[in-house]
Parts: sequence; C-alpha cells; structure tokens
Amino acid sequence: MTTPRRPSPPLRSSEQHRRDPGVRARLALGALGVLVGLYGALLFLTRQDPGQWLEVAIWFGAGVVAHDVVLSALVIGTCLVGARVLPQAWRAPATIALVVWGALTIATIPMLTRAGARADNATLLDRPYAATWWTMTAIVVVVVAVAGLLRSPRATRRG
Amino acid sequence: MTARLAPPSPESFTSRLRSPAVAARVGLWLGISFGICFVTGLISHYAQLPSHPIPFPTSPSWGYRLTQGLHVVTGIAAIPLLLVKLWSVLPKLFEGFPLRDPRALVLTGLERGSIAVLVAASIFQLATGVANAAQWYPWSSFSFRTTHYAIAWVAIGALVVHIAVKLPIIRDVLTSDIDATSHDRAGATEPGPLSRRALVRTAFAAAGVAVLATAGNTVPLLRRVSVFAVRTGEGPGGVPINKSAKAARVEESATSSDWRLEVVVDGTVAAALSYDDLRAMPQHTVGLPIACVEGWSAQGTWSGVRLADLLASVDAPADRDVSITSLQESGPYRRTTLPANFAADERTLLALDLSGEPLALDHGYPCRLIAPNRPGVLQTKWLSRLEVST
Repeated sequence: MTTPRRPSPPLRSSEQHRRDPGVRARLALGALGVLVGLYGALLFLTRQDPGQWLEVAIWFGAGVVAHDVVLSALVIGTCLVGARVLPQAWRAPATIALVVWGALTIATIPMLTRAGARADNATLLDRPYAATWWTMTAIVVVVVAVAGLLRSPRATRRG
Repeated sequence: MTARLAPPSPESFTSRLRSPAVAARVGLWLGISFGICFVTGLISHYAQLPSHPIPFPTSPSWGYRLTQGLHVVTGIAAIPLLLVKLWSVLPKLFEGFPLRDPRALVLTGLERGSIAVLVAASIFQLATGVANAAQWYPWSSFSFRTTHYAIAWVAIGALVVHIAVKLPIIRDVLTSDIDATSHDRAGATEPGPLSRRALVRTAFAAAGVAVLATAGNTVPLLRRVSVFAVRTGEGPGGVPINKSAKAARVEESATSSDWRLEVVVDGTVAAALSYDDLRAMPQHTVGLPIACVEGWSAQGTWSGVRLADLLASVDAPADRDVSITSLQESGPYRRTTLPANFAADERTLLALDLSGEPLALDHGYPCRLIAPNRPGVLQTKWLSRLEVST
C-alpha cells in the first residue's frame, strides 16, 4: 500500500506552537473556522427537524458521490480514452474544450432539464436551452477538430 | 496497461497538473468567490429580517440588485473553479492514514474530516443555489432558505479551517513559479496535455464563460449573450414574473369589484380604498428595480400612490413600521413588515402602473408595493391591508 503522508502543515509540538507566531495565528484562524462552522451546524439543527436533517445528509452524501465517484470516474475514463485515441496535437484543445464545455453543462443542469418550468409562468426558463446546448456542443467539436488539424505536424509541415 | 483491481492510491495519479501549484491558484479565486457569495448572502438574509437592529438603507435603490446579482454570478463562477480545484487534489482522496502514530492519526483525521465537510457543503451550496435560481426544488422536506443559510456558515467555517491548515503551502506555491516542484507529490511528474498555466487559465475561462452564459438574468447588457440564463427578461411591462396570480390563488380576489385596500391604524380600519379611490389620489412615477432572491432583476417604471401620502391622509405617524398583507391566502410572504425608513421614503409607492400600463395580474394588480433597495420577495403583490400602530 501507500506510504502514509503526514498532514501538510508542521503542527507538531506544542512548544513549537508557542515559539512560532505563524503557527499561533494559524491556530487562531483554525479555531475561528471551527466556531463559524459550529454556528452553522447549530443554526441548521435548531431550525430544521430530524426528518429534514436526514434529507440534507442524503444530499450531502449524494453530492460527494456524484463528484468523487461518478464525475471523477467519467473524467478519468475520458482522459484515458482521449490519450489513446487522440493524436498529440489534438489533446490540448480537447482538454480545454472538455473543461469549459463540461463545467458549463454541469452548471446549467437546472436550465437544460427545465425541471422548474411552470405552465402558469411564461417568463421563467423561457429559452431554447436544449437546442442551444446541442449547437454549443457541435461548435465545440468543430473548434477542437479545426484546432487539432491546424496543430498537427502535417499541417505545420505544409504551412 | 494491465488491469488493476486494487483501489487507486495517490501514486496512481501521475499527471504533474494535479499539484498544489494549480490547486492554490484556482483555490484562491474559488475562495474569493465563496467569500463574496457569503457576504452578499448575509446581506440578503439581513434585508429580509422583519426588523433591523441597524436600519437597512433605502439607498442606493439598486444596492440589493447589485449584491444579489453578485451572489448569483460568483456562485456560478465557483462551479467550474470548484470542479478544477477538486480535480487537481483528487489523489489526496486516496491517501492512507498514519495508523501507527496516534497523534498524527488524530490530526490527519480532523483535517480530512474538515475537508469532507468543506467539499460536501460546497457541492451542496452550489447545487441547491443553482436549482433555486431555476425555481427547481427536487428535495421534499427541507427549507431551501434556512438550509442554504445555515450550510453557508458551515462551508465558510470549513474553508477558514482549510486555509489555516494549508497556509504555509499556499504561501509557498503562490510566491513560487507555477512549475516549481517543491510541493509536488512524489511520482506526479508526467506532463499533461496542457501546461499548468494553461490549465489554470482554462479554469478561469470556464468560469468566465459560465458567467457570461447566465448573467443576463441580472445584467441587461448580457441578455443576448446569456443563452443559458433562467429568464430572457421579457414579461408584461418588460419585467419577468416570479410567482403568478394563479400560483398564489388570487385570480378571483384580485379581480373582484369588491376589492378594497384597508388601512388599519391601531386595530381600527381608518380607510377602505377602492381601485378608483387610489387612482384619484396624487400619482407619482419612480424608476426602481425589482431584484429577486433567485438572482434575476429588472428595472421598472412604476406609477401610483406614495405610501407616505396615504399614511398621512389617515393621520398615521410616518415613523412606524408598516405591516403589509397580500390577498394570498398562504405562503411565508403573505404578511410582511415594511420598516419605518422604507415607509417614509418618498420613492416607496403603492404601484398601480408599470411602464405606463395598469399592472398585469401577475405583477400584482390591482395594487402592489414597490420600494427602493428591497428584496423582490418583499415587494408584496396583490395588496389587501396596511397596518400601523401609533
């Protein structure tokens, strides 16, 4: 298995804390952070009931799983495939496109699904989001292809 | 490549892009975004309190529009930044624990615990925030407003702890060249498809694109660019609608000829004004924004009766909070309090017209409140009663 790595900062002996003003300031900052976080937890626990705590806990877990497991695996898989399939010249444009396109797609999920749309309110979610997304995706593919071809050694030789 | 069944370890990740140099540079701007989100969120919650220990100012009239717009814009910008930040530190998820050294184990456990809280709270805040902006509530029990507020404190607290723990590394890598390797993981040496600098710039570009694609909700100049904005900005009188008359179940009561605006002073009805009575009073026109907690805003030209004039006509004192009731039969904003300084402001109107036309039913016909620098949700529509105590 792996060699366990220490937590990054030199939080070692209490003597060192006393001597180093930087460590003292960091401890104070850390304590402030803990207090602020506990205040939030208190607000949450006192203003919502146990049924609501449970649902928020599920959302917390689901968010982490959605990112750390699902999205991370998708990105790693995409990169592995990309590294095998794409010529060297295509990889940089493809990576930039993946970050911009992927982040925008994730940030606009509520718009793309139009899940909050209501028949009685025509001013809400009133754009053709899905069509725009397909158009954007097509443009991204074309831009990556053009950039890849322009950067490929053959094009460079001809140029 | 051979197939491995063992779980990944930090050494499985060999790209030199997954580095503290990238994490700190993206993280700095992510932290700034979170800070702006937090402060503007606090302002919004303070503005919505029924009474203010320190009076909430009525000027500038566009103040709430600005802070609320900033809240949504920085929240959107934080999504690409958070994704790239988490990507750059993913190997840390697979680090082992120092099981033989109890002291190090406790410290590592606490630090990893604070990171878990930070990551979970950050994802939660951004996901629920964007869903709320699109009026999508895929959860069944918890209150968005209460929970988003409480978890914001949790996220900021965990962020401050994280900064305190990482400060020496942050300082080192931010003051060194981005390609310096002194803090890199062992084995993270493979060049990626991009340089570190290009990856950081890509993260910023992604944040910029996400903002441009959505901010037209609140920045009129961007309306044509913001192809993914929740609203085009169109609507009756050039102003979008948040809650329709149908959703508020006031279609009948708001259009009834029996409608009266009751003005109650010390528990006694001092006046019951019909729509024509209000039209017969001196009319004033003001330009005021409507800025919603969901992050959209629009400027409107409103005409109607000055609230201060109406209160004076029934000999109500001008320096009191006014309790405002809507025709809506339910909902947390059916009855709200207009602080005294807002009631006294001469721009605060009982609006009858928007853009020179009678209010649309969905905009609050027959009569709505419009006040400067006030959260949209408290700009009560379909007014039925005003109450003042002397």
